[in-house]
Parts: sequence; structure tokens; C-alpha cells
Amino acid sequence: MPANRYKSIVSLLAFVAPAFIIYSLFLLIPTIGGMYYSFTDWNGLNRDYSFIGLGNFVEALREDPDFVNSLLFTLKYVLFMIVLQNVFALVLAVFIETKIRTKGFFRTIFFMPNMISTIISAFMWTFVFSQVLPQLAEKTAISFLDQLWIGDPKVSFYSIIIVSLWNGVGYMMIIYLAALQGVPQSLKEAAVIDGASPFQTFRKVTLPMITHAVTICFFLTLNGAFKVFEVVYGLTGGGPGRSTQVITMNIYEEAFSNNFRYGYASAKSVILFIIILLFTFIQIGVMKRKEVEA
Amino acid sequence: MRLRKSASLFITLFLTIGAIISFFPIYLAIINSLKTQGEMFASFTALPTKLHFENYAHAFKQINLLGSTINSVIVSVIGIGGIIFCAALAGYKLSRTSGRLSAAIFSLFIASMLVPFHSIMIPLTRMAKNLHVSGSTYGLALIYIGLGVNMAIFLYHGFVKSIPRELEEAARIDGCGEFQTFFRIIFPLLLPITVTIAILDFLWIWNDFLLPLLMLTDSTKYTLILSTNTLFGEYNKEWSLILAALVLTALPVIIIYGFFQKFIMQGIAEGAIKG
Repeated sequence: MPANRYKSIVSLLAFVAPAFIIYSLFLLIPTIGGMYYSFTDWNGLNRDYSFIGLGNFVEALREDPDFVNSLLFTLKYVLFMIVLQNVFALVLAVFIETKIRTKGFFRTIFFMPNMISTIISAFMWTFVFSQVLPQLAEKTAISFLDQLWIGDPKVSFYSIIIVSLWNGVGYMMIIYLAALQGVPQSLKEAAVIDGASPFQTFRKVTLPMITHAVTICFFLTLNGAFKVFEVVYGLTGGGPGRSTQVITMNIYEEAFSNNFRYGYASAKSVILFIIILLFTFIQIGVMKRKEVEA
Repeated sequence: MRLRKSASLFITLFLTIGAIISFFPIYLAIINSLKTQGEMFASFTALPTKLHFENYAHAFKQINLLGSTINSVIVSVIGIGGIIFCAALAGYKLSRTSGRLSAAIFSLFIASMLVPFHSIMIPLTRMAKNLHVSGSTYGLALIYIGLGVNMAIFLYHGFVKSIPRELEEAARIDGCGEFQTFFRIIFPLLLPITVTIAILDFLWIWNDFLLPLLMLTDSTKYTLILSTNTLFGEYNKEWSLILAALVLTALPVIIIYGFFQKFIMQGIAEGAIKG
């Protein structure tokens, strides 16, 4: 029935067209365009530019210490976030799950920061770090509070982590809570009857049952952490100097604020994309294997 | 599960300290936004003796708060409406059509979910300039539709499977055309997932910073987030003013959070598990 088949294709395209056109314009073509520009020396203005092959990529990785530093800084950030964000989220979820009566209250409070825009969160914490904590240190004589929270590169890394966790833990906690609710109560009770301690029950019964959620949360944290921008922008602006500059900021700066090297900045963003893909595949691969084992 | 008393006490203590840390910055922003600068520097943690709402009035004027709230509303409403319209149509049809073409289009939409925004922001700004949509609130909303449809299509695609095909067949027998069937019969049935998508996209669009920063140059077109950002840059030491603006910017989402809490959490859990 060729006529019928033709009709069904037309009907499919009619339904898909609005989404596909707008998606092509603002996502598909820019994606392809970015890859294309990454092989050129385009400055974003001139009509003529030339192909320089892998030149941009080589330059970014070999001759651009600022980019390499931002890459390393981001990697360190990703590592800290994957571990801390998931540990905190899981601990909070498990603890909240044991407190049936006050569950709703704690869930609401821990999730609330996630509602606030990342950039606004960063500004709120700038206030805490630059004004409140030094004053508290003075009043309470707890000298630990008196740090250059956002002025000293060594400390500001941890400040960035604190704000990111404050903003992001609630989201992961919700996913873990949803997964925990799927663990049959009877399994846990059976383990307790068999004499397992709460920790053993968690380790041997609950955790294997929620590995799916662990995979998802690791994936989300990894993806989000590589793309970090707002927290750093709002808190330190990448400074002092370029000591807290993350990859996305380096790309932004390259393309929009000082150099206008579109082709070169595109190459850097392709590198970011490849890194995220690579890490994601490794992570999913490793964790899927764990899921099967459990 | 039964826990020993000491363990239970430890958990309560841990959660309480966590809750205090979680709420502390919000609390500080609120109380200090109601103080004068002098009162603030005497003690940041003390409650205000008298409520100074003039900071809010000041912030209202400085950042054209009303105008930028309207801009944010326009961008969110058009963006969410467009995403839902386009994605529901496409997601439904792609889910109901088998065959290579349908599978290929669907894969193309889904694969792009992996592309980080930062990898396309440079060509995207060029594209927006070429199409003359940069610098306008409506143009910004259009871009959000383009960036948001893939996730929504994915969610609709999964949800449609739970709707029995018999309903469409019955409608067809009754003489409904395909689009009529969709809008009259199917779309109302998609409501639960539509609510989820609307909430997730609202939080994304309302809170987004980088895209408006790249697209908007004229301050009368600024979204709320962008206006607050300029205020933060310009009035670096006027904390009472800045905090008032921060509270005002965060307030709409907190209120919406209060109303839709259940849906938001459900939406996140669903979105994550299906994704």
C-alpha cells in the first residue's frame, strides 16, 4: 500500500515539523556549526576564514596554560562533587527515611535551596562568606571562620564546593528518596530478623536495591559538575587571577569577553563535549556492571 | 525500621544541623534585607529591631523589578507553552509510529540531550543574530523552545505508551481527523506529564542565567535574574539593597515551590528515573 505509506509519512512529518524546525535552528545546526568552526580560525566577524585542521585543538591542549589549568581545576571540582554530593544526598535520604514523622519537614528544607537560581545562591553565599562569617569569627572568637573564603584560591575552591553542595544536594536527595521508597519493607525486616545491624541491612539489602538511582545521580552530578559556571561566576568570577576559572568560563571568556576567537573557543567547547561524553560512558559502563553484580 | 535510641538521637541531631545550614543563608538574606546598613554591620545574625521595607522599594526602582518580572513571565510562558505544544505533538506521533524514519527522528532528538549548552553557545549566538531573534524577550523564548523540546519529547514519548490506542480508533470512527483526535482526546490525557514538564521547564527558564546574558543587551529586556546580576555588579557594597533584590528574585520560585512541592519532587524523581 504505497499510497497509505506515503500518507502516514506525511502525517508523521506534520506532527513533528514544529518541534523539528525550531530544534534544528537552535540546537541541531548550532551543534554541527560549532564542530565545523572548531577547525577554522574564524573570528566571528570576518566573512573569510580558513581551515586550520586540528590547529585549534593542538593549541588549546599544548600552548594554552590557562585552558589546561581550567581543565584541571574543573576535573578536581568534578571529583569532589561526585563523592561529596552523593554521599551527603544518600546519607540525608537514608536518615530522613527513618524519621517518618518529620520526613516532610526535612525534605522541604533540604530541597529548598535547589529552587533558588544558582547565580542568586552564589550571591547569597558571597554575602555569608564576605560579611557574616568574618563578623561571627570576631564575635565568637572561632578563628576558623575568619578566612579569605573567596579571596584565597586554596580556600575558595572549598567555598565553591560548599555553595554547589548547598544548591545541589537536595535534588539528588529527592532521587535517592524516591528509590528508597521502592525498597520493600519486608526485605529490610527479614534482614533485621536474621540479626543484621542497621548498617549491615543498609549495606547488604538497601544499597543493592537502589544502585539504579546511584548510577543516575552519579551521571547527573558528573554532567552538571563539568558544566559548572554560575556558582563560580557569582562567587569568585574565576579569580583571584584565573585561579578558580572553570572550563566553561574559559570558553566564555575566549569567545565573548576578550579575544573573540570563535573558531578557537569552539574547539575548546568541542573538547569539553568530548570529555563529558568520555567520562559519562566510562561511568555508565562501570556502574552498569556493578548493577548486574548486585 | 527500629533503631537504638542513641542512633535515633544522632540522626535527629545530624538532620537538624543540616537543616540549619540549609536554611541559614536564606534566613540571613531575609532578615538583613529588612535592616539598615548600620544595623546590619552591628550584627548580621540579630533580628531587625524595626522592619525597613525601603530597601525593597529602592531595589524595586533600581533594577526595574516590575519590568524584568514581566519579561521573565513572558519568556517563561511562551517558552513553556511552545515546548508543550511542539513536544506533545511530536512525542505523541513518534511514539505511535513505528518504522525507521520515526526511530531516526526520535534518536536525533534524544542524542542531542547529551550536548552541553556551553558547546553550542557560540554558534547559537550567531544563529540568533542571523535570524534577528537576539536582543528580544520573544526571541529568547523561541530559543528556550528549541533547547527544551528534546527532553519534553522524551517524556511525552514514554507517557503516550500508557494510553490505550482504542481511544484514537474510536475517535476516528466518530469522524475525528488526526489533529482533532490529538487535541480533543489525547492532549487532555497527557495532563500529568504536561504538569511535570511545565514545572521542570519553569524552574529552568526562570532561573537560567547564561542564555539571557548572551542574548539580551538592552536592560529594558532583562529577565529578573539578569537585572539582579547587574545590581550585584554595580552596588557592590550596598548589601541591604542587594539582599532585598535577591529575596525578591528568589521569592516567586519559593512561593511556587510551596504550592507545587509534591509535583516538583515527583517530577524530578520521574524525570531522573526515566532519563
